[in-house]
Amino acid sequence: MVSFLKRIWTAAPIATVILGIAMAIAVVFSIRLVAFWIYWADPNHRDQTVAAWMTPGYIAYSWDIPRPVILEALTGSTPRPGRPMSLDELAEMNGIRVEDLIAATEAAIAAHRQSGAGARP
Amino acid sequence: MNETVFALVSEYGAYVIFASAFLSCLALPIPTSLMMLSGGAFIVAGDLAAAPVVLAAFGGAVLGDQTGFLIGRYGGAPVIDRIARSPARRAVLTRARVLVNRHGMFGVFFSTWLVAPLGPWVNFVAGATGLTWVRFAISDILGEAIWVSLYVGLGYGFASQIDTIATLMGNIVGLLAALSAAGAMALWIRAVLRAGRVRHH
Repeated sequence: MVSFLKRIWTAAPIATVILGIAMAIAVVFSIRLVAFWIYWADPNHRDQTVAAWMTPGYIAYSWDIPRPVILEALTGSTPRPGRPMSLDELAEMNGIRVEDLIAATEAAIAAHRQSGAGARP
Repeated sequence: MNETVFALVSEYGAYVIFASAFLSCLALPIPTSLMMLSGGAFIVAGDLAAAPVVLAAFGGAVLGDQTGFLIGRYGGAPVIDRIARSPARRAVLTRARVLVNRHGMFGVFFSTWLVAPLGPWVNFVAGATGLTWVRFAISDILGEAIWVSLYVGLGYGFASQIDTIATLMGNIVGLLAALSAAGAMALWIRAVLRAGRVRHH
């Protein structure tokens, strides 16, 4: 093994270094894949949570809630027509904290689900 | 990091996708596949129109690849000539050139989507080692069409799980690219060892 490494090192040092780095990177990605798999195997880890980057349209689509319900939850922060805005931008535009906007959206989703309409497992 | 990219796409739409596709094809470490995934998700959410997203990603990628190819052709050829000064390397490079001309189209094709992190480097090498432009352009356009439809399509189809898909695809493609690079280096080393043996006899 050592003599083989010495032989390829003498023949092509740069290629040997790149080979070593590439193999190390492959190991890292394999570990990450396995870690992801284990994490994903737990159903509790599969639910997406409302995040600052999401737009009202995206939230409506992902949680299968009618758009007006989401937009109503964001009252006072109606998106400018013509361009979609993330919760982050909406919060900034209206001078409120994005955390409050997320909480309001989550509450609206929960309330809508509880009302029976658009229930999803 | 995923969330920063998603936020950028929701704020700047097709423009940021075009810029990122162009620059990532020139070896700048920008997560364009993530941009395309979120582009697909915002299409299905009704926030972005499909045509601008797809055209921006495709146009940016093809223009970026062409630029990389030209950089390889006019900037890389002298470097290759310098590398070829040692006889062993020259023998291997000659073999590599033959390989590139015979199989380069496959290399370019797969490096645009299946092992996308290698794409920019393959473009430089294809330009520097003299792959015909027509061959490069054909396989590049076909490959980028697959790259764009694959990622925008995945974003569109799995919009509500976009973070998960992004992480999963990132790891799979990273693993494939690392294995391909290792494989290419193994072939190179084997060729150098063989060339050395031939010289000794």
